[in-house]
Amino acid sequence: MSKLNASDIQGFALRGYGMPLARYVFLQLGEPERARTLIGKLLPTVTTGQRWDQGKPRSTLNIAFSFRGLMQLDLPLATLVSFPVEFQEGMKARGGILGDTGANGSRHWNSVWHDGDKVHLWICIHALVPMEIESRYAELERLLEETGGATILQYQDAGSLVIDGMPTNKEHFGYTDGFGNPDYLGIERKSQPGQGKLMKDGSWAPLATGELLLGYADEAGELPVAPVPHLLAANGTFMVYRKLQQNVVAFREHLERWSAVYPGGKEKLASKFMGRWRDGTPVELSADRPDWSIVQDPERSTNFTYGDDLDGTKCPIGGHIRRANPRDTFGFNGALVNRRRITRRGLTYGSYVAEDQPVSDEERGIIFIVLNACISRQFEFIQQQWMEYGNDAHLGNDKDLITGNHGGAGKSVIQGDTTRENPPLICDKLTNFVELKGGDYFFLPSITALGMIAFGIVDPR
Amino acid sequence: MANQNGVMYGLTIFSPIIDDDHVTPSHDLQLREYFASLPTGPESPFAQAPFTHLARLFVLDDVVFVGKPSKEEHLKSKYLIFESNFDGDLDTYLMGLVRYAPEHVDATWSHCVGYPGIADAAAFVRYMKACQLETTFYFAAVNSQTLTQTLKALQTQRLVAEFIASHQASKPAALQHAFAAFLMELRAQPLPRPGRATIERTLQTGGHNE
Repeated sequence: MSKLNASDIQGFALRGYGMPLARYVFLQLGEPERARTLIGKLLPTVTTGQRWDQGKPRSTLNIAFSFRGLMQLDLPLATLVSFPVEFQEGMKARGGILGDTGANGSRHWNSVWHDGDKVHLWICIHALVPMEIESRYAELERLLEETGGATILQYQDAGSLVIDGMPTNKEHFGYTDGFGNPDYLGIERKSQPGQGKLMKDGSWAPLATGELLLGYADEAGELPVAPVPHLLAANGTFMVYRKLQQNVVAFREHLERWSAVYPGGKEKLASKFMGRWRDGTPVELSADRPDWSIVQDPERSTNFTYGDDLDGTKCPIGGHIRRANPRDTFGFNGALVNRRRITRRGLTYGSYVAEDQPVSDEERGIIFIVLNACISRQFEFIQQQWMEYGNDAHLGNDKDLITGNHGGAGKSVIQGDTTRENPPLICDKLTNFVELKGGDYFFLPSITALGMIAFGIVDPR
Repeated sequence: MANQNGVMYGLTIFSPIIDDDHVTPSHDLQLREYFASLPTGPESPFAQAPFTHLARLFVLDDVVFVGKPSKEEHLKSKYLIFESNFDGDLDTYLMGLVRYAPEHVDATWSHCVGYPGIADAAAFVRYMKACQLETTFYFAAVNSQTLTQTLKALQTQRLVAEFIASHQASKPAALQHAFAAFLMELRAQPLPRPGRATIERTLQTGGHNE
């Protein structure tokens, strides 16, 4: 079993911090030597994966680089060319593969992502209270001034969605979010059944460490593709950052329109779209009504399979969580999905609007962050084959109802049975409920690798 | 017979490519260029000639030595490989290629050793059979339906889905009336042509992603 040195791994890779506030800062690096000095100064402030035995800190800081950032840092050419090609190309160039076209195309992105590939460095601050964000940010500004190592292009504030004055784990469409990140061997975490890989006896086991971290065996018993030298890669991971704007009006109108002809009612229909009721109850475990006792029970909230529901009469085959993590839908006891799992981080931005209130023009959405060892095999595959296409699930060209780039012509089938309360429904003329507003691919190095970068001692020989 | 499964015939042809040092570009390179320019939609020779579910043409250069402990081996020739899953019997299928896509047949097999041309169709069929290998794997998942049945089924599925989507709120009597009209319409639909996508798929494919 992989033995991990948690103090060498950035904490952001190992765990969701569970903090209600975040600021993602996008920076352009300056002249290489100054940039390296900056990284060196930041190094002692980076939050590692060490256990918080003394209690949760008040804030955290983590950093990651785009490929252009690593170029700007003057990493040796032999190292640069050893990075996986999708990371070298960056997310914008991968638009055709990801289906980031039309309304999701890069010309509609925020200018910081659209104009000239300037985002070299990504710094994320998490905190319990706004003041802690500001003081960390002020400290960062001071370091930038002192070193001249980088300039801030922009920042994005995000946080837990506040509803009735309380931070929640909801997103803007009203669904409870953040269930079911995978477990990995060697990563200490409070785990629950359903979060790893399905075993032949029906139990759940952690995924191989190499599905998340570089330098460890993955589910195929291989080392993931990683840059040289090994020490630069080991304990690092790749990160996908996507700003997903949510069109709350369009989603609510669509839900109203279809629930008018759906005898099961609006909330049941909403549950069919997602695969979870809006309170988080898995549809597979409770198809007719939300059940808060399941949501609260770690033994049950992620502990389900689709093998007895291959027709999708309970959870539709195209339900969002079933597409993203099909579990045993494709047979072979779920083995086909074990190399297509991702760890998700991220928070919402913009203010929540209650169901019965008019929706303001303010931008709102979700900052979707993926961590995985291989962007092309994991994130890109899920996005291309399971979100933007339906063939694996025998759904033809249908895309994911919630996140699909439908362009007004989308169709989605909700399977049903012959009972009055659970009829099938075909939703058509779907528009984009979620639109991509930018992002990129990043490398989230280990603490050792950050040091090597800072000291200019990355040696691929 | 392994070449047949249900209504499906699995064809595998290995045709040795002419090796002539005096020809530049070489015959195999000319074939590669030609294949790269072949249309894959309704203009494809396999859409114009009948019965093809799926076909593939490629040049097999040699077997690749992958390192010890495997033994280094080489083919006697470069080969043009033609694989096709189609309906019916082999003679009819090959005659169809000659009849509906003669220029493509010529442009392809004229680079191969012993190709007799297509003026004598029976000689062409004999030539192809001489190059045939037994097929044991099929690509197409639907071996019980002909191409025509499959195209019709896809069309029906798409139109029925559209009908359902636009009539989900209908009262029973109105629905019955609309469905009767829809059935007439469906029956009158012309058979879709092979090679034509009903929905434009813009996703770029390839690489690790599929």
